[in-house]
Amino acid sequence: MVVLIVVVVIVVVLLLVLAFAFNHLVRLRNETEAGWSNIDVQLKRRNDLIPNLVEAVKGYAAHERGLFDEVTQARANVSSGGGPAATAAASDQLSQGVGRLFAVAENYPQLRASENFQELQSELTDTEDKIAAARRYYNSVVQTYNSAIQSFPALLYAGILGFRRREFFAAEDSERAAPQVSTAS
Amino acid sequence: MTLREQIRRNYLMTAVLLGFFTLLIGAIAAALFAVYGAGAAIAVAIGGLAWGLFSWFLSTGVVSSVTGARPVTKAEQPELYRIVENLSIAAGLPATPEVRIVDDPAPNAFAAGRNSKTCYVCVTTGLLQTMDHRELEGVISHELAHVQHRDVRLMTLVAVLVGVIAMVSDIALRMLFFSGARRRGSSPADLVVLAIGIVGLILAPLAAIGIQLAISRRREYLADAGGAEISGDAEGLALALRKLLDDPREIRDTSRSTAHLYIEGPLRKASGPRAIFSGLFDTHPPLEDRIARLEQIGGFTLPPESPAPAVA
Repeated sequence: MVVLIVVVVIVVVLLLVLAFAFNHLVRLRNETEAGWSNIDVQLKRRNDLIPNLVEAVKGYAAHERGLFDEVTQARANVSSGGGPAATAAASDQLSQGVGRLFAVAENYPQLRASENFQELQSELTDTEDKIAAARRYYNSVVQTYNSAIQSFPALLYAGILGFRRREFFAAEDSERAAPQVSTAS
Repeated sequence: MTLREQIRRNYLMTAVLLGFFTLLIGAIAAALFAVYGAGAAIAVAIGGLAWGLFSWFLSTGVVSSVTGARPVTKAEQPELYRIVENLSIAAGLPATPEVRIVDDPAPNAFAAGRNSKTCYVCVTTGLLQTMDHRELEGVISHELAHVQHRDVRLMTLVAVLVGVIAMVSDIALRMLFFSGARRRGSSPADLVVLAIGIVGLILAPLAAIGIQLAISRRREYLADAGGAEISGDAEGLALALRKLLDDPREIRDTSRSTAHLYIEGPLRKASGPRAIFSGLFDTHPPLEDRIARLEQIGGFTLPPESPAPAVA
């Protein structure tokens, strides 16, 4: 009788511990998904703004066809999916392309002076900042999640229960060190 | 200490301090039980619980009326609003908190609201004038870290506990006073117990306030570290704290009940005999200490004197 009670208590305690550990992992995984959708929202917002920018610059510098094609291609790559690392690579490329579009626009004072263009520029700069912020959050929760499923004892059952490592939002070839932010004041 | 280590250590210290709180409440309960027996102890416990719940539900909305903060829109303050928006994304908050402004020349800021949906971030007009973009980001990241850590809720809970302890000790002392006549003439041992009980009941509320303020200081260090993580720029926050250190102005209209909410302790300029104890009874750690810890996190050193003390 006593043995039975002890066994039951041990089993119940073990189940409780497992339940808490499982819920903890679920919570962390949900955070990474929320973090990813944050990035996604901002990427979509930027993708929506870019055709307007391309059109605006095209009106003044139609000869920059190569650059327009490059930006359009990078934009398509960003929205084509293919996992965080691939999307990050495409996103970085798109950021560079947008930067070069603005550099081209610098040569056309009339374009720069247009209110529409200025608004577009400030919207895009803001969106780039928001992508950077969302990236920082996503990478930090992915780090927490990945190290949680790799530490003992979670590593024994995390794989069986379907907790897979998540990719960082970072281009693979680039150094994924501490997410440093530029500090332009 | 690295950022993660500081954060872990601060969580641990908060847990230890909350443990002290539990011990203190347990000690009071034991004292009541020893002196008056179970009936009185249970009655006081129920009374304390009721009082605690009452003040917990009453405590909403006090802050905004005390400080006179008004909400601002994105159109009015685009820079400030964008900083709050972007840092909220970086902090992973479910929504951008409301942004409010207080008309006050002293640079300061606070976060209020008990959960991340009803919370808001408030800055003074003085802060907007004094800080540049990077420093403003530092200040806002500190406030959003408070939001992320649920500090408003924690400190409200702690304040409620302090109130309950003060009330229970007060009642117990009065009961002792009125029932003292019956106990007179008992053995010296009883008198010693009684004396210890009285001293303990007088000191309990003070101890409670001491613990409350220790928790508050702990949460400030934690919000600094968390803010540095959110913005990714410990140096920006350190620069902002340096400016606050150089600025002699204090915010108007602050009371002890809201002091823990600000980025800089608004009641810090104690002098004379009070200054000796100010370490124990401050809501915020010294700014110099906070800057030193940020320097550890970020691996930088601020120049000994800030280049130009900005006085707007």
